[in-house]
Amino acid sequence: MAMIEARQVTKVFGGLVAVNSVDLVVEERMIASLIGPNGAGKTTFFNCLTGLYRPEGGDIVFDGQSIVGLRPDQIIARGMARTYQNIRLFGSMTAIENVLVGQHVRLRSTPLGAIFQTPATRREEKKAEQKARELLAFVGLAGKGDMIAKNLPYGDQRLLEVARALGSDPKLLLLDEPAAGMNPRETDAMLHLINRLRDELGITILLIEHDMKVVMSISDRVTVLDYGKKIAEGRPEQVRTDPSVIEAYLGAGVIDVHAPA
Amino acid sequence: MLTRSIQRGLRIGAISFGILTYLILVGLPTRIGDAAMPVLAVAMALLFWISLRGGVSKQDVSARAPAPLFTAGTMAGLFAGALTATLIAFFTGLLADGVRLQPIFDKIVPQNMAALYGVMPGVIATEGIPALGWLRQTLFLTASGIVGALLVLIERSIRQRSFPRIPWLRWVPLILPFVLLAFVIWLGMPGVTFGGNNRGTIRLLATMVTIGSGIFALRAARPGAEQRVFGLLFFLAIAYLPFTLDQFQNSVMGIVFIFVMIGLGLNIVVGFAGLLDLGYVAFFAIGAYVYAFLAAPFSSPWVTAQLQSLGLPYNQPLVSYWMAIPITMVAAGIGGVLLGIPVLRLRGDYLAIVTLGFGEIIRLFMLNLSDLTNGPRGLLNIAPPYLFGINFGSPREIFILALIGAGIVAFAAYRLDGSRLGRAWIAMREDEDVAQATGVNLVRTKLLAFAIGALFAGLAGQLYAARQVNIFPENFSLFVSIDALSLVIVGGMGSIPGVVIGALALKGLPEVLRGVDEYRIVTFAALLVLMMIVRPEGLVPSTRRRRELHEDAEPIAGVDAPSALEQLATAEPTATQKAGRQ
Repeated sequence: MAMIEARQVTKVFGGLVAVNSVDLVVEERMIASLIGPNGAGKTTFFNCLTGLYRPEGGDIVFDGQSIVGLRPDQIIARGMARTYQNIRLFGSMTAIENVLVGQHVRLRSTPLGAIFQTPATRREEKKAEQKARELLAFVGLAGKGDMIAKNLPYGDQRLLEVARALGSDPKLLLLDEPAAGMNPRETDAMLHLINRLRDELGITILLIEHDMKVVMSISDRVTVLDYGKKIAEGRPEQVRTDPSVIEAYLGAGVIDVHAPA
Repeated sequence: MLTRSIQRGLRIGAISFGILTYLILVGLPTRIGDAAMPVLAVAMALLFWISLRGGVSKQDVSARAPAPLFTAGTMAGLFAGALTATLIAFFTGLLADGVRLQPIFDKIVPQNMAALYGVMPGVIATEGIPALGWLRQTLFLTASGIVGALLVLIERSIRQRSFPRIPWLRWVPLILPFVLLAFVIWLGMPGVTFGGNNRGTIRLLATMVTIGSGIFALRAARPGAEQRVFGLLFFLAIAYLPFTLDQFQNSVMGIVFIFVMIGLGLNIVVGFAGLLDLGYVAFFAIGAYVYAFLAAPFSSPWVTAQLQSLGLPYNQPLVSYWMAIPITMVAAGIGGVLLGIPVLRLRGDYLAIVTLGFGEIIRLFMLNLSDLTNGPRGLLNIAPPYLFGINFGSPREIFILALIGAGIVAFAAYRLDGSRLGRAWIAMREDEDVAQATGVNLVRTKLLAFAIGALFAGLAGQLYAARQVNIFPENFSLFVSIDALSLVIVGGMGSIPGVVIGALALKGLPEVLRGVDEYRIVTFAALLVLMMIVRPEGLVPSTRRRRELHEDAEPIAGVDAPSALEQLATAEPTATQKAGRQ
């Protein structure tokens, strides 16, 4: 069953067609990648999926229902969470608090409940905090829960973004360049984590990535965007040898620069 | 190096000259008398000390070497002294020539100048500028510049020496509020003559310092049993205050704590949720007016007419004070939502402008809807609260009610701060888009901030109306909003104890400083500017705010340590990892 299906999604900024009639299907429990040169429209496409932008054309069906026109908080409530290319944590909050905000849609306590500390509120808060600690441990941040988010090392901030996204119990997780700015060892660990998200938590993954090694080693399926258009799609090894992809990445006229895999 | 110290000295000197000019213009020398110059020099020495040490941390002080310090100190003193002495000579010269400066600078009179020279006022009129006066003043201030530099060095040597830790020393701040309370009570006893005519003012100041030091001590106490015991004792101490203070002191403290309630409400909107609201007085006004309609229906022509047509009595309060509380709070809360809806999409400056307009609209309604609000003639004879048939409208009872109200509001704000909603507010303040994409419903969260903030202001407004007995539109001008916002900022945005400190400093201190009356506002402006430079996070900052404003407030643990990712990477690849690589 398709977890998410984008049909002919188009997003226009003034005269620029940032995303041009893109179709994309991600099956359940798949790790899919979206690649393409800078300015290809990958992040714009992500923003359309998560409701930050409203596409001018096309439809997005998530878990069987159209989500076009829903607000971002309604979309996350349906089970789609994301991380950001340039880390956007709540910097002055602790790691735990960040994950607790991530759980916001799954919590029910009301202001009155909070003021009077009703048993239900207390129980929920306790459970939420425990879950936050578990999620931090899952991504490898055990024991760093009380650190201020902006004081965490760069790699840990990326992990915390994942933990915060996991707080909302997503079915689909969108990762925007999860390995950006990481050294090879950190990248390896991030790949390991992404696999565990799928294998242990059963989460479907759609990621944007620049690093070809990451994309090729992890993806079940790769979609290539260039100038807002989908130019190729398929298994990693198919895409790697696709002439139009090579042209998009390296420019026209360059032939056969890649060694056989 | 030398030129840099000289430049630094000149800069400090120029600033000090500005401060001295201000002190002379407000007529401080006249008040001190003929010892004016030595007293000013001592005060300036302290100022030079603070300016010369620069910064607030240990490192800043120990980084100062003696030679440049003395160069800068001497230059600062000499420059400030020469400029000030010249200015004084200029004024004195004009006065001696019979020019009347009073219409422009009302404190530039012979007495003021004479005090600076240390001579009798008559001397100025008859003999003009005293001989060597210029030199004397310049030397005085140069000396204070050198003393300031010396103080920095003394501080440095004290800081470099390590002192044995004295265990009982940490109890001092905890005991201080109770010592001060005893002082307050003692001052109020019959027969005590300490302080003479100023005894009432001293007592008021001591009361405020008692509360302020208690707030700081509450934070200094060790969490757990110690904090609880101290909290209880402090609570009892505050509860006793209304019974020992006199009418005037109770009246001032009542208004201070009404402003604590307003500040706590605004703190939710501005401090927690980050929505800059400049029209916050609107909700305060709604609370006051709604209570006035209920408690003095006969003052409003329209309400009277309605009651008459329904055949109901209109010459007595419709409901008691206590029954009115939910009504005024709901009315103010609705006001909050009504303001919130149109401004949902606005941020920052735009939000500030629109809320500013909203505050003015409400005030203009009150001014011009004369049928309902009786216009500028106001609503009169508002009924005081009654409890078991006892009139609760005197300053003492109003102070008690304000304390209870502020306590309840502070408690609610404290509980909200750590709740799901509180986290959503902070997330929204930090990054609205990401907060929404993380699942925060912006509409609901913003409206709740406006509504809860307005509820608190409405409660304060009702108490204010009961305190004032008669209310007029000009009670609810823009200045109330500005006062409320200032006290939140001075106390520390997002900090609940900060609001109390802010209200004491901004609404209480001016009453103590009645002495400097016409320059009160200027003094406060100066204090505000100074505070924003020295301590932008407020007097009692919330931990979160401190993190935001001081990048290096906490040691960045783990920066050199490998990140969790690297630690993971060094572990053996697991089966899943291998599978993933295929």
